[in-house]
Amino acid sequence: MDFLMTTGRTIRQGSYVERKNTPSYRDEASCIRMNPVDMLELLVEEGDAVRVTGNGSSVVMRTKPDPMLPRGLVFVCLGPYANVLASPWTHGTGMPDFKTMPVSIEPTTDAPLPVSALMKECGGVPYED
Amino acid sequence: MTQGILIKNAYVIDPLSGIRGEVMDIAIRDGRIVEEAPPGSQVIDAGGCLTLPGGIDSHSHVCGTKVNFGRYMSPEDMRAGRTSRKGVMHVTSGYSVPTTFGNSYRYSTMGYTTVLEGAMAPLEARHTHEEFTATPHQDMLANTLFDGNWSVMEAVRDKDVKRAAAIVAWTLAAVRGFAIKLTNPGGTEAWGWGKDVANIHDPVPHFEVTPAEIISTMIQANEILRLPHSVHLHCNNLGVPGNFRTTLETMDLAPPAQGNRQTLYLTHVQFHSYGGTTWRDISSKSEDIARSLNSKPQVVIDMGQIMFGRTTTMTADGPMEFKLYMLHHNKWSNHDVELETGSGIIPVYYSRKSLVNCVMWAIGLELALLAKNPWQCLLSTDNPNGAPFVKYPEIIALLMSRRMRENERKEIDPRTEHYVPLFALERELDWYDIAVMTRAGQAKALGITRIGKGFLSPGAQADVAIYPLKPDQLDPSVDYQQVMAGFSRTLYTIKRGRVVARDGDVVVEGANSTIWTRSRVPPGYDMGSDPEFTKKFDQYYTVRLRNYPVQDVYLPRGVCIETEAAL
Amino acid sequence: MRIEDVVCPFCGCLCDDLVVSVEGTKVLSVENGCTLATEKFTGDHRLAHPIRRTGGSWEKTTYDVAIRETAEILLDAERPLLYGWSGTFVEAQTIGVHLAELLGAVIDNTSTVCHGPSIMAIQEVGHPGCTLGQVKNRADVIVYWGANPIEAHPRHMSRYTTFADGFFVKSAFRDRKVIVVDIRETDSSEIADEFVKVTPGGDYAVLSALRMIVRGKGELVPEKVSGVTREQLFRVANICLSARFGAIFFGLGLTMSRGKYKNIRNAIELTEELNRHTKFTISPMRGHWNVYGSNEVFTWITGYPYAVDFSRGIAFYNPGETTSVDILRRKECDACLVVASDPGAHFPRACAGHLASIPTVQIDPHVNATTHLSRIQIPVAVTGIDAEGTAYRMDGVPIRTRQLFSTDYPDDVAVLGRIYSLVKEAKG
Repeated sequence: MDFLMTTGRTIRQGSYVERKNTPSYRDEASCIRMNPVDMLELLVEEGDAVRVTGNGSSVVMRTKPDPMLPRGLVFVCLGPYANVLASPWTHGTGMPDFKTMPVSIEPTTDAPLPVSALMKECGGVPYED
Repeated sequence: MTQGILIKNAYVIDPLSGIRGEVMDIAIRDGRIVEEAPPGSQVIDAGGCLTLPGGIDSHSHVCGTKVNFGRYMSPEDMRAGRTSRKGVMHVTSGYSVPTTFGNSYRYSTMGYTTVLEGAMAPLEARHTHEEFTATPHQDMLANTLFDGNWSVMEAVRDKDVKRAAAIVAWTLAAVRGFAIKLTNPGGTEAWGWGKDVANIHDPVPHFEVTPAEIISTMIQANEILRLPHSVHLHCNNLGVPGNFRTTLETMDLAPPAQGNRQTLYLTHVQFHSYGGTTWRDISSKSEDIARSLNSKPQVVIDMGQIMFGRTTTMTADGPMEFKLYMLHHNKWSNHDVELETGSGIIPVYYSRKSLVNCVMWAIGLELALLAKNPWQCLLSTDNPNGAPFVKYPEIIALLMSRRMRENERKEIDPRTEHYVPLFALERELDWYDIAVMTRAGQAKALGITRIGKGFLSPGAQADVAIYPLKPDQLDPSVDYQQVMAGFSRTLYTIKRGRVVARDGDVVVEGANSTIWTRSRVPPGYDMGSDPEFTKKFDQYYTVRLRNYPVQDVYLPRGVCIETEAAL
Repeated sequence: MRIEDVVCPFCGCLCDDLVVSVEGTKVLSVENGCTLATEKFTGDHRLAHPIRRTGGSWEKTTYDVAIRETAEILLDAERPLLYGWSGTFVEAQTIGVHLAELLGAVIDNTSTVCHGPSIMAIQEVGHPGCTLGQVKNRADVIVYWGANPIEAHPRHMSRYTTFADGFFVKSAFRDRKVIVVDIRETDSSEIADEFVKVTPGGDYAVLSALRMIVRGKGELVPEKVSGVTREQLFRVANICLSARFGAIFFGLGLTMSRGKYKNIRNAIELTEELNRHTKFTISPMRGHWNVYGSNEVFTWITGYPYAVDFSRGIAFYNPGETTSVDILRRKECDACLVVASDPGAHFPRACAGHLASIPTVQIDPHVNATTHLSRIQIPVAVTGIDAEGTAYRMDGVPIRTRQLFSTDYPDDVAVLGRIYSLVKEAKG
């Protein structure tokens, strides 16, 4: 199903921002909030994994119902999960379209990767402390 | 540091020492002027060239919140003046609002060694001091804004001048400020509601004090504190046709001088000398202003000359900038500062084809030519409001040459002469007048001769400018192009006994001082423990009292002038 | 030990009224702070020592080696990018700019993916703003547009706006109207007197409609503009027009969405229009505690607030070209020094991928996403905890952060100063 993905800050994201290798950060940054009706249509429940695809990439996240979101709009806090799907084009402004990413979402049995594994996917070498 | 310099064959004009043009030697040791240079001193042959104390700008906007915002919002201005890294010189950008190093190098190569920042909001003082540190070739001073200070206005309302003095003393010491600045007193508070005050007797909303009361109280407070400088005032109604009446009334508030210096310094008076009722019938009232000035030795002014071309206006006078924006419709920034003051910025272009601009241009020159005593009318452009300071040499040339003024007359709006007396003025200023108007007068008005500024006799700070101008071989009236070129670029600029610039290039990294004042007050007048005063920080400021004062670390080479308050 | 009036180095609110209890080098408790402050002060996930990577494995190294190799990487680069800066203090940012100048590098700060578009708009039309105390003491109308302060700036409302009693606004919650404009409901919109829900990408049109009403051309406004009814637009415009002092705060909902800097320009022009009728100000909700400091320092040294390219000797600025995301997308830079930020987490993946393919060095107290992309990471003291220096609040008010205790970590000035010296020595 197609959605518009938007991003922003959450208090949890801010709280865990200085420990990005931890499961708590991963859980918040890979949490995708959706309208409950959209979740029904997707046949997913809270905490289920979904594969989100956009801009030629995909990333696994876990769903969370959020009745405050209108249908068709999903929210992910800013961070490395959302940015897998962000296009680097800036329309000559320096600023990517972080707030308006067209994505498609489908249920998956995969689990969200830790941040270090996400970075490995794009050429990094995980550092485990 | 024991390095010495001997400047030989210098054509010296040193008004404060009574030297009016004498070929002589100047000896420097350990940063001071001395009788005799130490053995092994560097010898500079001035070859009869004009040698003056280092230039002092007593009103310029170069550092701090609004200046930096002028840069921030103006990439077009940044592109208009850029230089690469060269030797010890950093990259610079900017024409009317250059980067800090740009300001510093350009001032230095023009022979300026001391600059007073015209407006510092106490709450944002730390910013000004950070930029001072990055302006390394001039000793810096900060006028500190009190025009809309709530605690001051309450003291004025209660007719408690001693309390006003105590508030000033605490604040100047806390923010490492130099002098009291009032910018459109009362008007900046009114601007918190989008309003202004109409004249010096128009009460400020809520506080119910008038600009006249603020000004008079602050003059008294200033004298109680025995501050080196007087109250430094940007009058109400800047830029408003007919504002000369406000200015004259304000000048009448200045009490007779007790000592050697003025009791009131009016800045950029050109902007305050307009007749007429609208922009259509604006005219010069420089004669009225000069007449008042000439009868009041207790008043000193600076010109606030405008020069044609592009510049950026910036002032704490927020309401004025909005009015100006309504005329220009270019871009407008505003920044009100809680409990203290305001500010605004807009870019402008002064055109020879605009009658209003031509009248403004004439008024500044007229003030300087009509003021009988050069010590009472100092050269300024209110940098960058009237023009960037790099235009000073051109202004000097205009003041020294009637021929140059006549040539300019042909270029400007032909109607100008009907609105201004400029072209009837025959006076041409001489080298001495210029020396007074660009350094000695500033040193005296600011009260910094006591720390050795503005003169060249033994004991003075060794701030010296040697210009490629030979006064005995030049007729400034005719050779005005040479005058202009000469004042644009020193042969040598020496600051605190060290050659800092040569032939237009800065040659050392630089390390300046910041000059500030502290008035000692009796314990009962220490506002730091006054319940009413500190309550402002608990309830209305968004910064805690303890985080407000500027720490010593921001003044790596601070010079404190201490006074004993008469409280 | 209880330390009062502590400055919080988290968000642009730069709250300076925290009370922090410390014992030795451990923070025991934080009073007055929000959750973010408490997490920041009590956090204990520091990188213990410098690390370096050769090929596919990480090893512990010394400061001497890490600093020397960093200097070598920068000296070896043809087009280095020095990115970040918002999470450190002004004195360190100053060294960064001079280092960029010396190297002929591009230097950019996190505004580039935050309020960069706001800066571009300000450069077109200016910025009528004020300090936050002006709002607290006077404002009777507050507008949050594309901002969610409860999540991003948790004390903004209680210190400066909705819940902050001021001199002329004795009972803030009662006397102040709050308008929230967003594309979705948030905790912030819940407490608004008026919530304006805009369809995504529709802010520009809504701003234009409001400007028309303020200008007296309301009859031209259609029944619905980007999901907002004409009736509500008139109601909002009238609330603004009848304010004694109105203050608009805007967030990334405007800077990142369609229209980008043009949205901000329109919002500023609305503010300017309103000033013809009453007093109105507008202010960006700056994110990092000292991102504004990086803009200030960049500006007084180079003339430009971000995205400064020294490669031609002079300072050159052209957002869209000299901005980090664009430089990384073009795979243009051949080395990157990241200071006090995390582009690995906050840049599009293609940009993170380029960082992994070039020698990237990170100076940061914590392991973050960028760590995994780097060759070297140098941990430093945390400003406001074990280091101190100047920060600029979102409204430009400069405050000195406080060092609560000292540790063995060098601060950013110490590390950057040594890199600068090595580069200067090599450059002669």
